[in-house]
Amino acid sequence: MSTPQPKATAPIEMPESFAIQTEGLGKVYGKGANRVEAVKGIDLVVRSGDLTVIMGPSGSGKTTLLTLLGLVDQPTTGRLVLGGRDIYAGTPPDLAHIRNTEIGFVFQTPNLIPFLTAKENVLLPLSFAGVRGKPAEDRVQKLLDYLEIAERRAQHYPNQLSGGEQQRVAVARALANNPRIILADEPTASLDTDRALAVVRLLRRVSQTNGAAVLLVTHDHRLLGEVDEVIEMEDGRIASRRVVGQDGLARSQARSAQPESDG
Amino acid sequence: MNLAFRDIRYHGFKFFSSTLGVSLLIMVVVTIGGIIRGVILDSSTLIESTGAELWVVQKNGAHPGVGTYGPFVEISRLPESIYHAISVIPGVAEAGPIVTAWEHVPQIMRPTPLMKFMYLNALLNTQTMVKPGWMAVPRVRFIVVGYEPGRIGGPPVIVAGRGIEASHYEIVADVKTGFHVGQRVRLGNFDYTVVGLTRHMVGFTADPVIYMSLRDAQNYLFQTQPDLLRSEQAVARQHAAQLAATSPRLIPAVVAHDEARLANTLYINAIAVKLRPGANVQAIAAHIRRWEHLAVYTDAQAVNMQLMGSNRLILFQLALFRDILVLIAGLVIGIIIYSFTLDKVHEIAILKLLGARGGVVYRMILQEALFMGIVSALVGSALELLSEPYYPRRVVATSGDIVQMLVAMSVVAAVASILAVRRAMRIDPRSVLSTR
Repeated sequence: MSTPQPKATAPIEMPESFAIQTEGLGKVYGKGANRVEAVKGIDLVVRSGDLTVIMGPSGSGKTTLLTLLGLVDQPTTGRLVLGGRDIYAGTPPDLAHIRNTEIGFVFQTPNLIPFLTAKENVLLPLSFAGVRGKPAEDRVQKLLDYLEIAERRAQHYPNQLSGGEQQRVAVARALANNPRIILADEPTASLDTDRALAVVRLLRRVSQTNGAAVLLVTHDHRLLGEVDEVIEMEDGRIASRRVVGQDGLARSQARSAQPESDG
Repeated sequence: MNLAFRDIRYHGFKFFSSTLGVSLLIMVVVTIGGIIRGVILDSSTLIESTGAELWVVQKNGAHPGVGTYGPFVEISRLPESIYHAISVIPGVAEAGPIVTAWEHVPQIMRPTPLMKFMYLNALLNTQTMVKPGWMAVPRVRFIVVGYEPGRIGGPPVIVAGRGIEASHYEIVADVKTGFHVGQRVRLGNFDYTVVGLTRHMVGFTADPVIYMSLRDAQNYLFQTQPDLLRSEQAVARQHAAQLAATSPRLIPAVVAHDEARLANTLYINAIAVKLRPGANVQAIAAHIRRWEHLAVYTDAQAVNMQLMGSNRLILFQLALFRDILVLIAGLVIGIIIYSFTLDKVHEIAILKLLGARGGVVYRMILQEALFMGIVSALVGSALELLSEPYYPRRVVATSGDIVQMLVAMSVVAAVASILAVRRAMRIDPRSVLSTR
């Protein structure tokens, strides 16, 4: 079976508060008997400044959705709008550039480049974006100050930093180009409760301060009190969406995800 | 941000220890090339240093109609007087008689512990390479070259002392003989004084040369050994006594003939011929060939005969070995660079996820590979140059060899890194995401 191409559409109007929007986003792996529909027709809007959690059992499509939103993988169907631009419509996009400037990644393990110092790790996305010299240095310094990484520690290699420091450097790196959206994949999976909450509060602070949308994939229910919205996924679809407050109480009723008419 | 530099800085020990390993491999490759060039130079030095354009040798011998491969490869013997006739051929500037042979003097040359180990496999005590007792042959072998002082064929350069000035009992030796100026050396029945030293004058076997006057060389090489002379003289007397009864009038003539035969040393092995500027080499060679018993070769032919007649198989063997080594070195370097790159696939995946373009990754790997290749070629070549004086035979690596290695290593490094990056770039950035 041939893989269907994403439909090409004209640029769409999107409210300024929308960081990313998908329409009918789907992803199919394999062919014939091995065909797996990992993500099915996802309609989703993530607003700037929101911290949204994606939860669900293993194999529910959380990470596939994250790879599609992070432009790491190309959708089989549907449309993905980032910054008012339909990514896969028209001429092939410069995905590396968009990933570099519009998206920040935070992983379960910090995934810092081992042969670069903490400071150089933060400098790396700026370097890819062509930001060099004093502007880049100033930006890195600002981020290190913001994330409370001492100048002396910034000169150390990742293996010389504590786990918490490494995770803060990873967040600083994700913020380097002031991205529109931050995708965090299980960043608290191997942390105890205090440290897990510290990481999520940091992401919360980032989303509120920088206005970036943070999309967090996790299994960790300890974090729900810190987030704005919870998306439950099941069998490749959004099973439910809940808008929750920072006090952990549901602010609105659970809503069916399909059809979704967000905004 | 130069990622290659930062990676090398961080993985300094791993990178530079690998580079050192590659350097040693390159050193071996360059050394084999240097050994080949050394053998070629050794084979041509003695001929080329005379400055002769033509070499006249004995015809017939083992090659009727062609001429012997003399004087340095096989036996060639001519009457000395011929060189006078060749001297007066129009276009000939100078003709010098040459006498040459391999000789030995008893002198202990201690093998180094490394030589002992290599030849005897001493550690395992298996004595696989040489027969027991090889060290009890304490002789220095050298090549005697006799020439007419003042004529062509003598030492081209004197590095200590002076040239031969007296007609007898003076020698000029190559520094490799280990002799020093003023030393007295017993050769045959006479003592000779080393009056000067020369350098790089060796035969194709790499044995050093000793120069002496033509007369001394003829006496040394062709004079009948005294015990044999007495025996031959006794036979001649018996012969004469037998004639007394039958043909007494022939006795003086027979005795004179035998004495002349036993005393005659006026032989030479070759004649080196230097031509006047603008002289026609082929015409003069054709002129000399009209003597039925003479063969003549140009200096290039003489060098090639020397090379192919003596060291042909060892040269081919070394060249083949060098080719194999080059292939192995290329493979090893390629594999090192390839595995270095594949060690970084996770980092490459992160870089791709962070938005690095393919060129950034290619540049990082290519820069590291080129750095390793170039540094290895330079260090390997430097090590080879430093080790050259310690080999028993001449080893000569040239700047051309080094440039060749630089180019070869750059190409191997570039190809290996491109192949490795193509493989590494297939890494799916999703592999960085934990939950897949």
